[in-house]
Amino acid sequence: MSPTEKRTTHFGYQEVPVDEKASRVADVFHSVAARYDVMNDLMSMGIHRVWKRLTIERAGVRPGHHVLDIAGGTGDLTLKFSRLVGPRGKVVLADINASMLRVGRDKLMDNGVGGNVEYVQANAECLPFPDNSFDCITIAFGLRNVTDKDAALRSMARVLKPGGRLLVLEFSKPNNPLLSKAYDEYSFRLLPKMGELVAGDGESYRYLAESIRMHPDQETLKGMMEAAGLERVEYTNLTGGIVALHRGIKL
Amino acid sequence: MLITPTLLLAGCERTLNALLARDPAAPARLAALAGSRLLVRLEKPHLALLLCYHATGVDLQHGDEVEETDVDAVVELTPETLSEWLSGASIERLMFDGKLAVRGRIHLLEATRDLLFDLDIDWESELARWLGDMPAHSLAEGIRRAARWGLRAKDELLQDVSEYVFEEARLLPGRQQRDVLRDHLTELEIATDRLEARLNRLHKRLTQPAEPSTPKEQRG
Repeated sequence: MSPTEKRTTHFGYQEVPVDEKASRVADVFHSVAARYDVMNDLMSMGIHRVWKRLTIERAGVRPGHHVLDIAGGTGDLTLKFSRLVGPRGKVVLADINASMLRVGRDKLMDNGVGGNVEYVQANAECLPFPDNSFDCITIAFGLRNVTDKDAALRSMARVLKPGGRLLVLEFSKPNNPLLSKAYDEYSFRLLPKMGELVAGDGESYRYLAESIRMHPDQETLKGMMEAAGLERVEYTNLTGGIVALHRGIKL
Repeated sequence: MLITPTLLLAGCERTLNALLARDPAAPARLAALAGSRLLVRLEKPHLALLLCYHATGVDLQHGDEVEETDVDAVVELTPETLSEWLSGASIERLMFDGKLAVRGRIHLLEATRDLLFDLDIDWESELARWLGDMPAHSLAEGIRRAARWGLRAKDELLQDVSEYVFEEARLLPGRQQRDVLRDHLTELEIATDRLEARLNRLHKRLTQPAEPSTPKEQRG
């Protein structure tokens, strides 16, 4: 790999300098933060709630646990985790994007969540927490926006307690060619139009569709998690592989 | 489908929490239960459900991967026991009968039943949220009046129909007539029994070998 290639990474289908990706992703999310929840419901026809629910079920979080919700965005997972860990536990909602974090904090406060939730603006690649500090870490629809995914997974494995679980919920590759075709049509034609109409920002949603295609498939991500030091890594395809839930344990 | 049970659970949870939010007695009961976790295992079909209570409702989760040490109480029951329990049988009696196995904090079960089956939903206040106090009250009063009228009308209709059928059209016998008929039938039954007994006796007499005749006749 030449030094010039080394310094670029993908941003959707474009190649951008590594230093620029984070700020470009940040721009996307600053732009969509306010309408993020509405768009999620609209784009996935509400199914994202079921995917997230399944993630919570697989997380096995109990009262007293410490949970880190990375790229927690508008706090969907945090809301439920905060109830499950109870007053003795703690949930940290981390996001690299201040706008998303603000929307999430407001939403959680409106839902009466306080006390056991902390908000941290952090980069997943270098998490500002001591080693072995969380029983469970989740990252839902966030990993594909991270510039250096391997570094992020290593950082997550570091802050995870031995025996703790890392759950990665992320778009993946549909395993049925017919579904794949329909999905492509939907995400490259319909999605940007919906983004344009509802959030007034078609470009951000075009990036979303492209970034999904550039994200590693199920097996590759599994390998990456194993390389980061996680064991017993397994994944479950949801909705025909449009989304996959990976789970690894730090032993 | 992997997500179907999750979808069903999500639907149940949403409905349950929506109902609980409309019960004036629920917040106090939930406050007492908040933080408790109850694992319910149904034997057939095999089903494990984890109920996690919080101040505003209950979270339902799959309980298959849950360890018993992680919950406050575990209940194991069969569908028959579940229906008995829901219909009000006391937990102690079911336990002594060996139909219900409970480990952990048993009173969680009682509290759960109180919470879920003593739901007294305040529909009027929910209507008031949408329509305002006065219209909601008038509407609720109207519905209550209509319901009372419906019940009364139903009773009266039943009464009228029975009077017509039994008394006027005499399509079916009434209770008194039926009693009289039954008395007559009993009498007839007894009379037939007697007659049968008499016939039997007569028959026996006829078929019995003739009485041994007098020696004089034999010799004749």
